[in-house]
Amino acid sequence: MNGIHDMGGMQGLGEIGYRENEPGFHEAWEARLFAMVRALRTGSLRSGIESIPASDYLRMSYYERWYTAFVTRIIERGFVTSAEVDSGRADPVTVKDTPALTAEIAVDYLSITPKEEKDMKLTPRFRVGESVLGRNMNPTTHTRMPRYTRSKTGVVERDRGVFNLPDSEHSSGEPKPQHVYLVRFTGQELWGDDAPANDSVYIDMWEDYLEPA
Amino acid sequence: MSQSSSDHVEDHTDVPSDPELRVKALESLLVEKGLVDPVALDVLVDAFENKVGPRNGAKVVARAWVDSDYKQRLLDDGTAAIAEFGYSGGQGEKLTVVENTSSVHNVIVCTLCSCYPWPVLGLPPTWYKSAAYRSRTVIDPRGVLTEMGLDLLSGVEVRVWDSNAASRYFVLPERPEGTEAMGEADLAELVTRDSMIGVAKVAVSSVGGAA
Repeated sequence: MNGIHDMGGMQGLGEIGYRENEPGFHEAWEARLFAMVRALRTGSLRSGIESIPASDYLRMSYYERWYTAFVTRIIERGFVTSAEVDSGRADPVTVKDTPALTAEIAVDYLSITPKEEKDMKLTPRFRVGESVLGRNMNPTTHTRMPRYTRSKTGVVERDRGVFNLPDSEHSSGEPKPQHVYLVRFTGQELWGDDAPANDSVYIDMWEDYLEPA
Repeated sequence: MSQSSSDHVEDHTDVPSDPELRVKALESLLVEKGLVDPVALDVLVDAFENKVGPRNGAKVVARAWVDSDYKQRLLDDGTAAIAEFGYSGGQGEKLTVVENTSSVHNVIVCTLCSCYPWPVLGLPPTWYKSAAYRSRTVIDPRGVLTEMGLDLLSGVEVRVWDSNAASRYFVLPERPEGTEAMGEADLAELVTRDSMIGVAKVAVSSVGGAA
């Protein structure tokens, strides 16, 4: 969706706020929330975060967005009800015996690299070195195609293999595995002639995001 | 918060911020429901606060600087090469290592969200997730780098890597001059987190930078 999260190329969004050696968590609650999200394994929160209205999104801190999206997700999945979240008390009928992630398996769980690449043989539509055009599309649901790549021409640098199209998980629900390509766009193609001639942006593009140039 | 503590001698405990209260309430609810094991949360928090972080990446960089075979393996398959150190886990699949040289400068961003190579760098700092960094790094990388204290020569090629898909990126910074006599462990001490994101170079004086 054309949400505020799709920020690449925007200007006027304030200060970077750089701090040297900044920790990942600034407050204890951020760490607890992060751990709860990991422990419940409810999947990516990105579509929920992207659905936060723009004015709220910009006002909230990073982990406040996580909280909002996480609560929405666990209500959707039936882990909790909104009444329980509001009251902070569990409905006794719904209490479970075993947590999804116990302390014993948490350590192993941390070291496992999740495999998203699919072991499938699909004929790639594009080949390395080929010119490709970012499709002009405006889906209202989750996509990994930033709008700055739309209608822009780039060159395929690498074939990443086959991955499920994330867009399909949020629209049809039907998995759409397909090739992902590393595509190089020059700065001048993306931003015009004033951009430095020797700068470029590299980004992974699912096959559905591209057409032959 | 609006009145100084001297006005309320009895009420001198810090008022918890709203998200702190809500997260605490959520945790007790999930624990009460048997959905979450608080000790498992402790394990996860400890891991991300103390075990996974840029010290991991710094060791990888130092190894690549002293061992050209390792460097080649790292550039060929980052995920497999960091596994030689025992580094693995979420946000580590398809780790692509990009090398900074005197003529090419790579910098990493995630314009849509906050994607970052956890196994080698830990969790990202807040500035990496800021709207300003996410929005401007693709359109004006040199301006962003200058603001962060790194001026690149105009002849240097700048490559911005937008981590939007399964790939995660990790910059192999340039080894600074004057470090030829240094061993791997001492070299690792020089490597900063910023240099592995690509917003800084490694300086000989930056000892212990990657906290």
